[in-house]
Amino acid sequence: MAILVTDKTKVLIQGITGKEGSKVALQMRNYGTKVLAGVTPGKGGQEVHGVPVYNSITEALENHPGITTSFIAVPNFAAFGAMEEAIKNKIPLINVLTEHIPVQDSAKAIALAKQNGVKMVGPSSIGIISPGIGKVGSIGGDDPRGVYSKGSVGVISKSGGMASEVSWILTKNGIGQSTVVGIGGDILVGSTFVDLLKEFEKDEQTKAVVIFGEIGGTYEEEAAELIKSGGFTKKVVAFISGLFAENLPQGTKLGHAGAIVYGEKGSYKSKINSLKEAGVEIAKTPDEIPVLIR
Amino acid sequence: MILYEFEGKQLFKNCGINVPQSQLVTLADEEVTIKGPCVLKVQVLSGKRADVGGIVTVKGEGESVKGEVEKLFGRIVNGEKVDKVLVEEMVDYDREYYLSFSYSTESRGPVLNFGEGGTGVEGKEVKTFQVDILKGYLGENVPEELKGTAKKLWEVFTKYDCELAEINPLVVAKNPSTRSARSGQNYIMALDAKIILDDDADFRREIKFPERNLFGRAPTEAEIEARKIDEGDHRGTAGSVYWDLEGDIAVIAAGGGGSIVNMDALVAYGGKSANYTEHSGNPPREKLERLTKIVLSKPNLKGCWFVGGTANFTDIFETLMGFVEGLRELSPKPNYPIVIRRGGPRDKEAFEALKEIGEKEGFDFHIYGRETPMTATAKTMVDLAYGNTSY
Repeated sequence: MAILVTDKTKVLIQGITGKEGSKVALQMRNYGTKVLAGVTPGKGGQEVHGVPVYNSITEALENHPGITTSFIAVPNFAAFGAMEEAIKNKIPLINVLTEHIPVQDSAKAIALAKQNGVKMVGPSSIGIISPGIGKVGSIGGDDPRGVYSKGSVGVISKSGGMASEVSWILTKNGIGQSTVVGIGGDILVGSTFVDLLKEFEKDEQTKAVVIFGEIGGTYEEEAAELIKSGGFTKKVVAFISGLFAENLPQGTKLGHAGAIVYGEKGSYKSKINSLKEAGVEIAKTPDEIPVLIR
Repeated sequence: MILYEFEGKQLFKNCGINVPQSQLVTLADEEVTIKGPCVLKVQVLSGKRADVGGIVTVKGEGESVKGEVEKLFGRIVNGEKVDKVLVEEMVDYDREYYLSFSYSTESRGPVLNFGEGGTGVEGKEVKTFQVDILKGYLGENVPEELKGTAKKLWEVFTKYDCELAEINPLVVAKNPSTRSARSGQNYIMALDAKIILDDDADFRREIKFPERNLFGRAPTEAEIEARKIDEGDHRGTAGSVYWDLEGDIAVIAAGGGGSIVNMDALVAYGGKSANYTEHSGNPPREKLERLTKIVLSKPNLKGCWFVGGTANFTDIFETLMGFVEGLRELSPKPNYPIVIRRGGPRDKEAFEALKEIGEKEGFDFHIYGRETPMTATAKTMVDLAYGNTSY
């Protein structure tokens, strides 16, 4: 059955007339995902790759009441408005591609989403793919088929590139994926490892999960807590990066906004230790993952 | 971006938080109008200034402090050269507190951190309280006398898009020994300020601050140049995050996540990286060309590692051809081993072109595709660079 993206997924694209939005619209359609509508204020009435564009979500929903998911690809200064509009219209799932959103805006959107019972994945999310079923977002690019394959392993990754690399390593070793989710590497994200482990726990197709984490924040430690307390019972293999940064000065930021060196808290050691304590197998290199997951 | 104390206090003042009377001295021989008793504080970005003599107290009434200020100039405090000193009136106080707002990954929203009792931050028991960002902070979880200041600090935190707005210590000053204390609530004063701004909100913050470096040193030329690459061009990123390190293997890594994985692998195999940088999304050729030139301009390099995972949508041909353009412009021409590992859209096309270029133009390319584990090429790079074996 997979999680988040299923055969019932019907997508709206906010920012469809932009470069990224229109490119991803085509990619999703080519992969068999139903893209019903797009929204760009002031550009209603146009079409992008045959997809009708509306001025507002309300208008789009009037014409396409079946929309289940909104994919957001707007510039960072417009992102809060776009997220707020999607949440207030209670679209069940929103996936935010936009990077560099001010943390205050993300915090507000996350609080609003919670209040309205809306699931949010991102910001800075590469997307969500359920191989063989469909995808939302840039994940897999034009042709996901070579890298992602259908199977029973869920993947949750802070990094878009590593979501792809890990999936490719699994596929190469004959291990398919149920759903692969890029949660983004920002300080605050709409869905954490814990949120998605809970989804994977309920999903029959998923037999095991791979976590790709990195230094900064507490999401990996929270996942360890969930597993330890019995909230997730399937096999988990984790790969954590950022050891090299341990000796860099505090406050150094690496490739992702959330990957910040902050002494003990959120450090490589803290994450590895808490995951090990929860019985999670730690891969030393990404290529060990297939061996450990079997 | 971390702000200096005097910059943070300016933001405090803008929102009505009391700070001591002060003078920022930027020249060693500048006239200082504030007389003793007062406190001289070097303006550096690192914490714990006091432990290394960065804070000097002048006790004498009416005493001139010019000589003391001069002594602080040019000193190195936690690796940072002192070129600004903040001179502040001495504030006698009864009680001190810790007060800050920050974001918590645990509650995924803003939190109030408040502590009382004891001296210094270690002595205080700091408790954390969630703040409902949709309602804003309304003065909860602090004593009555601090509610006004706490609400003003929340204003600083949100108005200026801070990741951290911290007052430590926040004091209840004694009357009438404090010259700036006037009446009632004015006795609550911020004696220090630590502010970290959210760089992603730079586009809407009204106040701009000059560039500075986290490492307690001026940014290197390469760091400044690398960070310019993305300015005004939103197509992908290259060099926005760039740190010079002390090793001899140049690294051009792809992906915010993959770059860290690969740096870990290089270190694990005994490699010493000359830099950390990454490019991601779909940067055009020119960006990679510029980044390559910057990264490989360092002297005494023993190898170059161009490494990334199997990309979702990065055009591998374009980025690798940008890399080649950069290589061609280098003088002297690199004669060290260049290990390339990459996968993704147009990778085969890129590898064919690279092979031909390497042979024709005499670059020592070692090319690996998605079938080779990316972290395994860390070992290849280290072996080649340090002459452990030949390939």
